Formats: sequence, structure tokens, C-alpha cells
Amino acid sequence: MSVVEKSQPNFASDQEVRWCPGCGDFAILSQMKKIMPTLGVKPENVAFVSGIGCSSRFPYYLETYGMHGIHGRAPAIATGLKRMRPDLQVWVVTGDGDALSIGCTHLLHALRRNVDIKILLFNNRIYGLTKGQFSPTTPPGLVTSSTPGGTAHEPLHPLSIALASNATFVARSVDTNARHLGDVLRRAAAHRGAAFVEIYQNCHIFNDGAFDHAKDAAVREDHTVELVHGQPLVFGKERNKGIRLVGTDLEVVELDNGRSAGDLLVHDEASQTSAIAQMLAGMEHPRMPEVLGVLRDIDLPTHNDLMPDDTVSVAARADKINQLLETGETWTVGG
Amino acid sequence: MTFVVVESCIKCKHTDCVAVCPVDCFYEGENMLVIHPDECIDCGVCEPECPVDAIRADTEPGLEKWLELNAELAGVWPVITEQKDPPSDAHLWKDTENKFELLSRNPGDG
Repeated sequence: MSVVEKSQPNFASDQEVRWCPGCGDFAILSQMKKIMPTLGVKPENVAFVSGIGCSSRFPYYLETYGMHGIHGRAPAIATGLKRMRPDLQVWVVTGDGDALSIGCTHLLHALRRNVDIKILLFNNRIYGLTKGQFSPTTPPGLVTSSTPGGTAHEPLHPLSIALASNATFVARSVDTNARHLGDVLRRAAAHRGAAFVEIYQNCHIFNDGAFDHAKDAAVREDHTVELVHGQPLVFGKERNKGIRLVGTDLEVVELDNGRSAGDLLVHDEASQTSAIAQMLAGMEHPRMPEVLGVLRDIDLPTHNDLMPDDTVSVAARADKINQLLETGETWTVGG
Repeated sequence: MTFVVVESCIKCKHTDCVAVCPVDCFYEGENMLVIHPDECIDCGVCEPECPVDAIRADTEPGLEKWLELNAELAGVWPVITEQKDPPSDAHLWKDTENKFELLSRNPGDG
């Protein structure tokens, strides 16, 4: 039966998927199972590494190697894995709490080192697994189980943090936008170096509707801009609005109001400076439409390129470690 | 895996499932709904919503015919994204068995 084969690619594991019915994680898993067979990589040459959280159950559900790691540490574990097994395609699956609170510094350094791993941050702006506490991306004012008077502070912006860490690939997509998410995941997989993808993911139990502006088919075209390299930033259901650079700020302009596409900012994902990308990352609903797609895709040497001693055998390396420990500023503490 | 709509939906066509589907993968015929198997994300949120127990996981044995039918008709029927009232006589067909011959292949309004 061709239908069954098409909807059950061979990257699906035999594990029962355990997320709340209706969770956006199912949509992301579904896309991942669809794109993996198209990447030309065998399941045994792929590893998914996760931390802790709902999203971090992801590795169980794919017929690849996987590691359900400790909270926030997936980028560090993945860095070690890619270092020792450069032949593997290594993915990290994390969430807004796991990546930006518990393990934030691990994320920054994996990105700045340009480790050749693909980091997917499922952002639902809440701690779901622990039943609804505010996370680093929770918007101000949101009443959660740990902020009964509403969240007080401004959130972290995942894309801004990735760009500030000089990530060489930075993108955003939406869990239920199947076409767009599939395209972004394929681009991330093809990138050589650290790829960072923020995925808007609806937790309909503890923070339902957090991304309705970007998900609801009736309004999303008016509240999001799909970035296309080399193309002006046009958006809107009628394709009659655009984004213009004015001085050091961005503004929305109406195209049928004396403005043309020629006045608009043209997207350049290959720009060596991340300044414009940072401005795009700072576009936030409801003040501005939010960007979807690839903000940045540049080519820089990877972590393994910069430290190319993997040809040294494990045994030889062990000897070197011993030599290192026994030389220089070492001493024995007397009794 | 996917979920599939089976025989008990015919002439009942409650659309409670449509209201909860996060990816709008239901397609509407004249007197039945189907699920597009390649768009379904297997999240299971629709399954308990159906008042006539017409939504099943395709891992259940014996559903091959329904899986094929869902795939075929989802390709020709319009997508339905909002809940609507069921047919006025839906309650009369709730417990009727062997409704397959009553299936209309005509598209619904979507």
C-alpha cells in the first residue's frame, strides 16, 4: 500500500509518541519524519540529542541514534559527539526553558564555535512538562502558575541571542506551517556549521494561542513576513505592505500609498554583518510583523575545521594528555 | 501512522474533530469527512472528540480499506477548517451499521 509507505517513512521509531493530544510537537515530528528520507543520509548516521522538557522526548520517536541528555546540556553533548564522530549528522532538540535558562551558556558557545550541529528550539513560551511556569520567553503580563500576578519582565529573543553568538545559520518557522517548516529544516540540514532554528510551537494546554498571529490562516499573512534571499520584504494578505529601512529603524509601509517594492529592504541572508538580521529578529508582534524563514546563512570554518586533530588516534591522544598533565606548573600537595 | 475516518461518520458528519485539528487536515464530502493521511500529524486530539467514534488510528487492524478511501477522497474533496452543524437527521444514523453503500462521493461545501 503506497499510502502507508508514504505516511510512515523509515525514520519513524516503534515508540508510542507521548505528548498531549494536539501538541505542536507532533507537527514538528511529522515534518522531520518527512524530510529525513530526502536528505540522503542513513538513519544509522544521524543522532538526535536532547535535554529535558516536552520537546526533548523527540529522539525516542525517530529511528536514529539518540540521547535524552541532562537539562540544558544537549549542545555540549552534541559538541562532543560531533567532535569524535564528524561523520554523523547531529541534531539538537531543545525548548525555550532548556536552551535559554538552564543551558543558555551551552547554547551560546556551541553557536560561537560553529559546531556543525543543527539546533532546533521549540519555543512555546512556557514550561510545559512541569505544568505551566513562566519561561525565559514568556511575554510580560502572562499569568502562569508561578506568576499569579503576571510575568514582570521582558522576554529573551532566541533569534537575537543566536545572532549575537555569531551563529552562521539562523532561521524561524512555525510548527503547523508544514511547507515552510519542511523547507527550513532542509536548509538547516544542508548548512555546514551551527544551524539554529526557532520553531513557534503551540502548547495548547498551558499557553494556548501564544502564536496565533503567526499560525492562524486567516491572519498570519498580515502578521508575518516570509524572508526570501534577494527579495524585498513584502507581506500581507494582499501583498500590499512592506518593510523599509529608515535611518536605524524599520517601518511598515503601504505599497499602494506612493511606495513601491523598490523602496523596501531587500533581504540578504549572506550578509557578513548581522546588524540587519538583528533588526529583523527584533520585529515583534503586535508592533511589527514577525519574520519567518532564514535570517542568516553564511559560511565560516566549523569547530572541527578549526581544531583538526581528529586524525590522532585515541590511544595517542591519551598519551598526550598524560604528558600534558605531567609537565609545567604541576605540584604535589604534601601531607 | 495517521488517523482515519471510518464508516460511522457516514450521514452523521459531526465536525467536532475539525474544531480541534491543529493542521486543518479534514476534508469534507457530502455526507462524510476524511483525513488527509499525509497532512495528519498523528497528534490524536480529534479521536476522542468524535461523538460516533469514527476516528481511529491506522495501526488498528482491518482499516486498510478506510485508509485508502481517506487518501483518495482527501485528494478530491475540499478542506474544512471550521466546525458546522451536523445534518439534522444525524442522530437517526448514529447506531446504524453497514453504511458504506450510503457514502456519497460528492464533495461537500468545505
